[in-house]
Amino acid sequence: MQLVAEFLKNVSFCQDLNEAARSKLAELLISKKISAGAVIFREFDDSDCLYIVRSGRIIISKHVQDQVDIVLTRFHTGDFFGEMGLFDTSPRSATAQTETDSVLLRLDRKAFQQIFSDEPEIAARICYRLVTVFIERLRATNDQAREAIRWGLEATGFSLAPEHSLFGRRST
Amino acid sequence: MADPAKLELLNRSSNAGGFEIVQIDSLHAYSAYKPSRLSECDWEVTAQPKSADGTRQFVLRNLREDSYVLLNTREYFLWGYFDGRHSLEEIGRAFHLAFGAFDYLLIRQLLTKLYGCGLLEAKRLLDFQLNRGAMPDSHWGSRLRWKVMRWRAMSLRVPHADRLCSLIYRRGGFLLFHPITFWLSVGGAGCALVLALRFEQNASSFAYFLKARPWLMSGVMLATLISASILHVLVHALACKAHGRRVRELGFFLLHGVVPTFYADVTDIFMSSRRARITVDLAGPMVEVVLGSIAVLSAQAVSAALGQALLFGIGLALWESALLNLYPFNFLEMDGYNILADLTAMPMLRQQALAMIPHLYERLLNFKTLARAEWLQLGYLALCLISVTVYVIVHIDGLRTLIQLS
Repeated sequence: MQLVAEFLKNVSFCQDLNEAARSKLAELLISKKISAGAVIFREFDDSDCLYIVRSGRIIISKHVQDQVDIVLTRFHTGDFFGEMGLFDTSPRSATAQTETDSVLLRLDRKAFQQIFSDEPEIAARICYRLVTVFIERLRATNDQAREAIRWGLEATGFSLAPEHSLFGRRST
Repeated sequence: MADPAKLELLNRSSNAGGFEIVQIDSLHAYSAYKPSRLSECDWEVTAQPKSADGTRQFVLRNLREDSYVLLNTREYFLWGYFDGRHSLEEIGRAFHLAFGAFDYLLIRQLLTKLYGCGLLEAKRLLDFQLNRGAMPDSHWGSRLRWKVMRWRAMSLRVPHADRLCSLIYRRGGFLLFHPITFWLSVGGAGCALVLALRFEQNASSFAYFLKARPWLMSGVMLATLISASILHVLVHALACKAHGRRVRELGFFLLHGVVPTFYADVTDIFMSSRRARITVDLAGPMVEVVLGSIAVLSAQAVSAALGQALLFGIGLALWESALLNLYPFNFLEMDGYNILADLTAMPMLRQQALAMIPHLYERLLNFKTLARAEWLQLGYLALCLISVTVYVIVHIDGLRTLIQLS
């Protein structure tokens, strides 16, 4: 448990927590080994927990068509994902799958709610950090959306370049 | 080519948990795209005469939207492949075989041009349409460019210009283009010129009468020049009708965003011969020549000294207007410039010459590598600069007087 608490130092949403708070949080985490290629959760699955990557690499993707997904991002050691599941009961918005053999730490929504009721100060510190990460991820998503639109525009010959002036002759 | 938008696709295999990551960028999607032009009944193309450098250009008209694009030989080659059956990759390969090299930028610019003219079947994308008339981003440079573009595009137009011109042409306008009319005009102009030379000895008395009534003189002159300008563009339009082509617009606008003038949009004459274009170009200034000649001949018939002076002054002003219109080297796209562009088969001569300015120094350093067309552009630039300089020097006294008065 001490090792997990020590590891949490590297996790962004735990950076404002002191040692005692990290130890308390570590007690609530469930460790899970997953082999490469395994699906952690699928898009539209029920969501009720957050995952922290203890080791390995996770790939997050969203279904496009048939067997093809678009890769949204990758998570590495110290990153976390599935945070929407802590606050929201809506289905998962993307699929998470291991790219390599990985170890994950799971924080259930119930456990998180317990922190809120028992240790509101710790919960507030975690939430503050989570919001910062949400903002970063939202910005990244915006960039990706813009790229995808540009990709589509280029593919169909559209260009956002200034309008081409048409040929013509005005006799004066 | 812009930086590719790097996207990753996760392609799942049939094995449980198995997948393959495929990195793609816009270029790949772009290469597989098959541009499809409108059906053949919706466009027409006319080959232009060979230009100074031996290349040929083509004017492509969208019959649906009545818009035009100018294509060079390479672009015309690509247009031939935009049949919806060839991917850009295949087209690129064919182009490479034909011309020895290929750059995707060329195809991208062409696609933009053709989409802008509505000549390619557009795909509805991401369920939104690009609003090309919308205000650009908030960057001041873009906004300024946008405002300048809008300013230059401003015009007052006569509704149903083509129908109006057809009607005038049928109801007697055709007589203007009869050979007899032409020879009568030339004869009349010759007589008027001889008469004008004889009037030279009265120049000082004419000047005295006109100076004595400046408001009358200015008012009559202004009204005459405006009326002549209107007739001038109408005759351009009628000449276009005489060759069976469409008059797109008749109206009033700011030439190059600066010079207020009447205009007739006769772009459709590019679908006809070079001779037809030059006829259309010359028809306008002929109005000033003929009206000027009538004024000078009338001056002979009038007995009152003031009337004679006024008519002679109007005649000279109209002739001067015709000459200015026919002078090609003033950076303005007037009739003389259009004739020059038609004779050299370089319809974009002015734009190409102006585009040369930023690279002028380095081009002049390597003048041995200049192509024939570039020499022509350079010559056009030089003559325009000399003409404008001479014009300023000749009128410097007038400018000085104006400054002193203010």
